[in-house]
Amino acid sequence: MTETLHETRLVVNGVPRTVRVPARRLLADCLRVDLGLTGTHLGCEHGVCGACTVLVDGQPMRSCLMFAVSADGAEITTTEGCRAPDGGLGPVQQAFQECHGLQCGFCTPGFITTITAYLRDNPAPSEAEAREAIGGNLCRCTGYQNIVKSVLRAAEIQGEVVP
Amino acid sequence: MFGEPIARREDPRLVSGAGRYLDDLGPSALAAAFVRCPHAHARVTDIDVTDALDVDGLVAIYTYDDLADDTATRVAEPLPLLIPHPALTQPRTAYALVKDVAKHVGEPIVMVVATDRYVAEDICDRIRVSYEFLPPVVGVAAAREARHAVHADVPDNVAAHLLQEVGDARAAIAAAPHTLELDLEIERSASMPMEGKGVYARWDAADASLRVYSSTQTSTSVRFALAAKLNIPVDRVEVIAPDVGGGFGVKIVHPWPEEVLVPWAAIRLDREVKWSEDRREHFVSSAHERGQQQKIRVGFDDDGRILGLDVEFWHDNGAYTPYGIIIPIITSTQLLGPYKPGAYRVEFRSLYTNTVMVTPYRGAGRPQGVYAMERTMDAIAARLRLDRAEVRERNFIQPHEMPYDHQLTFQDGRPLIYDSGDFPASLEKLKKLVDWDGFAAYRDAARAEGRRVGIGLACYVEGTGVGPYEGAHIRVESSGKVVVSTGLTTQGQGHETVFAQIAADELGVPVEDISVTTGDTRRFKYAVGTFASRAAVMSGNAVALTARKVRAKALRIAAEALEADPGDLEITDGVVRVKGHPPGASGGEIPLRTVAVLSNPLRYAFDEESKRATQFAVGSSDKPPVDEDDEPGLEATDYYSPMQATFANGMHAAIVETDPETAEIKILRYCVVHDCGPMINPRIVEGQVHGGVAQGIGGALYERIVYDENGQLLNASYMDFLIPYASEVPVIETDHLETPTPLNPLGIKGAGEAGVIPGSALLASAIEDAEGITITRMPISPSDLFHLRQGATE
Amino acid sequence: MKVSGNATLNAPVEKVWAALNDPAVLVRTIPGCEQLEEVERDAYRMTVTAGVASIKGSYAGDVRLTDQQEPHAFVLKASGAGGPGTVSADVKVRLVDGGDGTTVLSYDADAIVGGMIGGVGQRILTGVAKKTAAEFFHAVDAVLTGAPVGVVSPAAVPGTAAPAVYVAPAGAVRAGVIGGDFAKGAVFGAAVALLGALVGGWAAGRRAR
Repeated sequence: MTETLHETRLVVNGVPRTVRVPARRLLADCLRVDLGLTGTHLGCEHGVCGACTVLVDGQPMRSCLMFAVSADGAEITTTEGCRAPDGGLGPVQQAFQECHGLQCGFCTPGFITTITAYLRDNPAPSEAEAREAIGGNLCRCTGYQNIVKSVLRAAEIQGEVVP
Repeated sequence: MFGEPIARREDPRLVSGAGRYLDDLGPSALAAAFVRCPHAHARVTDIDVTDALDVDGLVAIYTYDDLADDTATRVAEPLPLLIPHPALTQPRTAYALVKDVAKHVGEPIVMVVATDRYVAEDICDRIRVSYEFLPPVVGVAAAREARHAVHADVPDNVAAHLLQEVGDARAAIAAAPHTLELDLEIERSASMPMEGKGVYARWDAADASLRVYSSTQTSTSVRFALAAKLNIPVDRVEVIAPDVGGGFGVKIVHPWPEEVLVPWAAIRLDREVKWSEDRREHFVSSAHERGQQQKIRVGFDDDGRILGLDVEFWHDNGAYTPYGIIIPIITSTQLLGPYKPGAYRVEFRSLYTNTVMVTPYRGAGRPQGVYAMERTMDAIAARLRLDRAEVRERNFIQPHEMPYDHQLTFQDGRPLIYDSGDFPASLEKLKKLVDWDGFAAYRDAARAEGRRVGIGLACYVEGTGVGPYEGAHIRVESSGKVVVSTGLTTQGQGHETVFAQIAADELGVPVEDISVTTGDTRRFKYAVGTFASRAAVMSGNAVALTARKVRAKALRIAAEALEADPGDLEITDGVVRVKGHPPGASGGEIPLRTVAVLSNPLRYAFDEESKRATQFAVGSSDKPPVDEDDEPGLEATDYYSPMQATFANGMHAAIVETDPETAEIKILRYCVVHDCGPMINPRIVEGQVHGGVAQGIGGALYERIVYDENGQLLNASYMDFLIPYASEVPVIETDHLETPTPLNPLGIKGAGEAGVIPGSALLASAIEDAEGITITRMPISPSDLFHLRQGATE
Repeated sequence: MKVSGNATLNAPVEKVWAALNDPAVLVRTIPGCEQLEEVERDAYRMTVTAGVASIKGSYAGDVRLTDQQEPHAFVLKASGAGGPGTVSADVKVRLVDGGDGTTVLSYDADAIVGGMIGGVGQRILTGVAKKTAAEFFHAVDAVLTGAPVGVVSPAAVPGTAAPAVYVAPAGAVRAGVIGGDFAKGAVFGAAVALLGALVGGWAAGRRAR
């Protein structure tokens, strides 16, 4: 009993990729294993912790709750895709480093993508808004203090807010 | 660099998705999965794999019988008892796969190896195990009652019984003007790092050597354990902790069944094998902590000074005791906090239940002890109508009484002697930070608005930096780069940064030129592990001592090259120069990288720089190229081994608001004053405190492990086990005191667990203050509070 | 490793014994059997092929008979080797009248498995061995109850003294392929070698009389 494989086309971090995966392959596993993009992490596999969050056509989605085949034709952005064009740290990533917004780093990819999308739509959040924006991602290490600061700093870096 | 809040060196790879966590490794490895017992107490009577045999991708299926057949190894023996203790008279540990009787939901019975995890789980689903049910024992009360036994040969379910006392507490209480009795309860939570456990093993048959990657807090100890279990010489086993996504204590236990079985399978199959657990597995097969029932009797005088303190508690250790009785011992000793009761008696029984085992979770027994003591302090204050801070102050050990000997034995087997700390000063800072004295007015104003607010306070002392030792190796390469290795591990504490900061200071080298490796037995073999807030104290000091050795050697070699006296030399920015010599001017300076080249007399040059050290360039005929008591290379190894733990302390205050109708609990302010001595990197220390506070809040208000009477874990997922999101954790206000310790060269104390320790005690105190209802059980939910209110009005 | 089991065959003991001794029956009922060859008295060589998914393997088995008590019992010593591993086994076989014209056959094998396949775990080895045995007995039972059996001609010239070699006809009934992979294919092959050797031994032993 071998599973049927489905050809699935994705554009991941700007690069067209084609994979042949069984229907039940999670998008998270497809990204991590079939495409070797291990930046996206699995913390719970039931959609609560948010570590697996990637952007699907610009929207933050739990990749542990999606099948890869259902993302056929979509544009996907992972944490690797949030780097700067020259391969250095992107604004959100840089903000995390400046503000000590991570400790073990396992939950960080989900925050990076979530915040990237959030700031695109809300470039100048208040502290309360920043806190709410990250309210769907779990972190066990930081107590969130510096993650909130990272959101605000990322907004600054992106130039929308004068520091 | 010491004291500088520099940005972390490990961050660039971690924020950009280039971290290497366990499951990121070994993409072509076979995948392992387990059939785990779904019953709390059951004898396995049959394992039928017939339906699994025709699954495409099956590679192997193992049960205990396969372990028993392998007489060349010791995998059929129970997993080791890590920390024996004379009072632990009935220790029990598990087998790597269930042998006859499973004793908690989640014990692994069958190991499946397949081409990938999806297939492995398909195979697990098709394996049919038959059971004979046995009566489960769940909860401290049932364990104490002992109508049934978890282990047939331990009929009273008591694994250990320990009594420690100083003075005659019972007599003191009997003679005291006031006495109080408290019955308290605190329930289980769990570490819950975002990354679960994982093991990836590679066997090299040609070399008969094993390499194991494990998401562990102690690669050196896993190495010893695997060498012993698999009967492989230790120097043929290497264990590496890759990037680890959090530990918080649960990853210090070792070897997990999977840590033994995955390498064992890799050897048998001569294939790479990998296992990463999923979240449900973690809930039912790792470890929990915090569950205790406590009975306290205290005698005190009119001023609220404790004359005698008599504590009896019952500790739920789950089905097995691999970590010994460390947690209840810590509860027993750290319960004392910053206080000096006249006489103290503490007695505990550690009990078996048919639930996941209990091993350290950040705090490791301290939260329970602090809970007992701080609730007692509040009760004394309530009885005497005294200010709660005042009562505590009156019981403080005073700075001039340091070092203070409690005459008890701590968890490291050494005397419980506080080395330094200024408790009155810490409390003063905290009161100011939270405006303790102004709260009454705040409360009145709130009451006028129909709001219910309360303030709470909790103090703790934390023994940190326990031994036996840690070590470091430092080498200056001929490129000028400095390579630092230490054996303990990292799970987000920023070790790559703080140890580089220490080395940079001691060596006079820019921090950017220093790289740090932790947790890799290929690089450093003698270590204990990362736990009990010890890494900075232990490895930090080891790095400092080692760097001093390297520096001394560098100065010696440079002195010869510069024809100067070592005492006249200094190192700054990676250059050794004569003090006062202008930088850049020739003759009085030599770069460290050149010193490194000169440290290794060569016959064969390998690059331009190294030509300087070849035999026709250096050396003199009146002595050998390498002195008798010297070694080639600008490198050194050293160890730090402490006489005893060093005691950090902290005090937290919180203002809460409770909703008069819905009993919803909100934290308005959370204030922390903590003292871990001088801080290597204040931002990293603060981050540790923040994280701990979030776990303390979680444990007080949201997290609770819930077993039903059949031993079924009812909330084995994040949907039902509530870890706080950002919305549940308020802004944390911190202030510091820094009382150095005389006990180690850097004068530092640990801080890793600080934030979590007083959480339950603190919030119980604050909610009690808001509500005027005595709180004895934690955690507390709005629903619990609602019912307490109803009970109070009846 | 110990494998034992039994099967009920729908024929009296003597007919079962005869069928099990007929190379024409065996070569087409042993799962994967390709040929049987008499090497010397009471010793035979058998080739089986096991094919699963990506792995096909040929296994050569040697068989020796001892302790024959026609038509009720004998002991068979077999060993088979293929790419991924080796099997050697001692098998006790008993045929007992089951009443109503049936026979209850029981076998008790004590096997040592080595090489790669030795690593896959007892449950797979015994599971596959039992499955294979069941398939074999099912096929034999079909023969006994009248399903047509294709004629197989010995490769040797009739009437010569050369040892006979029996070859499976094309399209012979084969045991169902168990979907799976490398090691399981190996296991299957080895288990087949084991069973094939054991049954080949019966046939050969019988023929020798």
